[in-house]
Amino acid sequence: MIGNKIRHDTTWNHRDDRYGCKRTRNRGGDSVHGCKVVVIRVNLQSPNTSRLRSRTLNPNQNMAKFSIATVFIASISLLLALTRSFSVENPTDRRILVLLDDLALKSSHSIFFTSLQARGFELDFKLSDDPKIALQRYGQHLYDGLVLFSPTTERFGGSLDVAAILDFVDSGKDLIVAADASASDLIRNIAAECGVDFDEDPSAVVIDHGSYAVSGTEGDHTLIAADDFIQSDVLLGSTKIEAPVLFKGIGHSVNPANSLVLKVLSASPSAYSANPKSKLSSPPSLSGSSISLVSVVQARNNARVVFSGSLDLFSNKFFKSPVQKAGSSNKYAKSGNEQFVTELSKWVFHERGHLKAVNVRHHRVGETDEPAIYRINDDLQYSVEIYEWSGSSWEPYVANDVQVQFYMMSPYVLKTMSTNKKGLYHASFKVPDVYGVFQFKVEYQRLGYTSLSLAKQIPVRPFRHNEYERFIPTAFPYYGASFSTMAGFLIFSFIYLYSK
Amino acid sequence: MGKSPTTKDDAQALFHSLRSAYSATPTNLKIIDLYVVFAVFTALIQVVYMAVVGSFPFNSFLSGVLSCVGTAVLAVCLRIQVNKENKEFKDLPPERAFADFVLCNLVLHLVIMNFLG
Repeated sequence: MIGNKIRHDTTWNHRDDRYGCKRTRNRGGDSVHGCKVVVIRVNLQSPNTSRLRSRTLNPNQNMAKFSIATVFIASISLLLALTRSFSVENPTDRRILVLLDDLALKSSHSIFFTSLQARGFELDFKLSDDPKIALQRYGQHLYDGLVLFSPTTERFGGSLDVAAILDFVDSGKDLIVAADASASDLIRNIAAECGVDFDEDPSAVVIDHGSYAVSGTEGDHTLIAADDFIQSDVLLGSTKIEAPVLFKGIGHSVNPANSLVLKVLSASPSAYSANPKSKLSSPPSLSGSSISLVSVVQARNNARVVFSGSLDLFSNKFFKSPVQKAGSSNKYAKSGNEQFVTELSKWVFHERGHLKAVNVRHHRVGETDEPAIYRINDDLQYSVEIYEWSGSSWEPYVANDVQVQFYMMSPYVLKTMSTNKKGLYHASFKVPDVYGVFQFKVEYQRLGYTSLSLAKQIPVRPFRHNEYERFIPTAFPYYGASFSTMAGFLIFSFIYLYSK
Repeated sequence: MGKSPTTKDDAQALFHSLRSAYSATPTNLKIIDLYVVFAVFTALIQVVYMAVVGSFPFNSFLSGVLSCVGTAVLAVCLRIQVNKENKEFKDLPPERAFADFVLCNLVLHLVIMNFLG
């Protein structure tokens, strides 16, 4: 196309010399500039060009049609790919990428994987150094969740690195990371970026001489039976986990000032993190209940991440083995691992504890439509509907601590909303005696639930001049005195005139 | 009158002489005096009320007090002009004085009604 254009220009230039005037060829026809000669051509540019344009573009039209068709097909296929992923209406993840550093993990952790697949997830297994790993293509994410069962990997294949994984979490997607005694720096860095600090000593594992799992052989007490769970029905399900959870791996600590990270499974007070093969030369840096064995992070964009210090926590061996905690006589035929892992995976992949707030409405008491502006001392009613995702459908969320604020730099009104148990929360209050631009704010953050942050702006105006009270009650004596003076004047003038 | 005159006797004598002098005034002047006393009394009540509850609608308070005080002042002017013992207004017809009084009261009460709120 471009070649053709240049050729045309040269032939015109050739002719130009003969006439001495410049003719440049537009798309729409001829235009003549700076001509000092003979040929006086009146060029009616505007009406003709449109017809000329449509005629000259015929060879271009076929090309355009072809490119439009390809773009159409590509967008349809991308759209199809997107509908398979999770949407706002169905927040449970669908496609999950599982990165393993050893394909044997597929069979040694098969119970976990088949339970995920039975719940409807599509698992995509790849080796962690597979060069074809890609989390996103053309700016769209291909997976909704990522499971990193590759503690020893130093570098991921493909375009995956710490930044790509953090970008994945920042876009709202979920992550499960399992570390091990041989955890690489890559895994430790990912965890550190999310607020979870694994023990810096690369050879340290969690040892507990107080609550290790009793086994036939005399071990070095690195296999722990942990039962210090976080108290939360959202995270761990409503059924209490009776049996302790078997754990063998490294411990980590979380910053207690960080409100986004929670310790789901903590170690017992007698645990410490050290190298089992060497003697302790100095007190261990991580010890006691501050060691977290499994923690979760719920980011501010509601992405959920699980960090586990043990890959064996998810393995078939631990799922099926019986457990007895040292020092207690309770023998459990099956450890609590399977229940623990199943419930936690339900939470992490948004099958539970995901809230949505819809239908924010406000109106004056007695009216139904939303005004654009309120007046001070108005009575108004605010309502919002909150639903919780149950894994397959939206159920009404029932709680008694959802609050609404009427906020302008600070909350002038803070009211706890009452619910009709079908998901509708409402509150009615009087607009304060201050005018300005307010916001209806609902800030709801509860442990394990997604955070709700709603704000709706509404202005509030002062009284109009005819909306004040007509007669002020405190001034009634003055009104009375003025009128009595007038009456007294009238009576006095009559008496004065008509008395002898 | 056997003892030397005391202060109490002097006060009583003064009071009696004032009373007898006052009863000699003409009736119309006494009516004006009564009207003035009524107006000032009403003003005092309003001031006491304001001291109790505060001056919130201050315009109403001013309006009420000023109506009483204003009409009392006008009545005093009427008394001066109508009093036959007053040499200054010897040539002023009392009807003219009364007409002035009525007109000024009308204007006063118009203003008061406006300012009352």
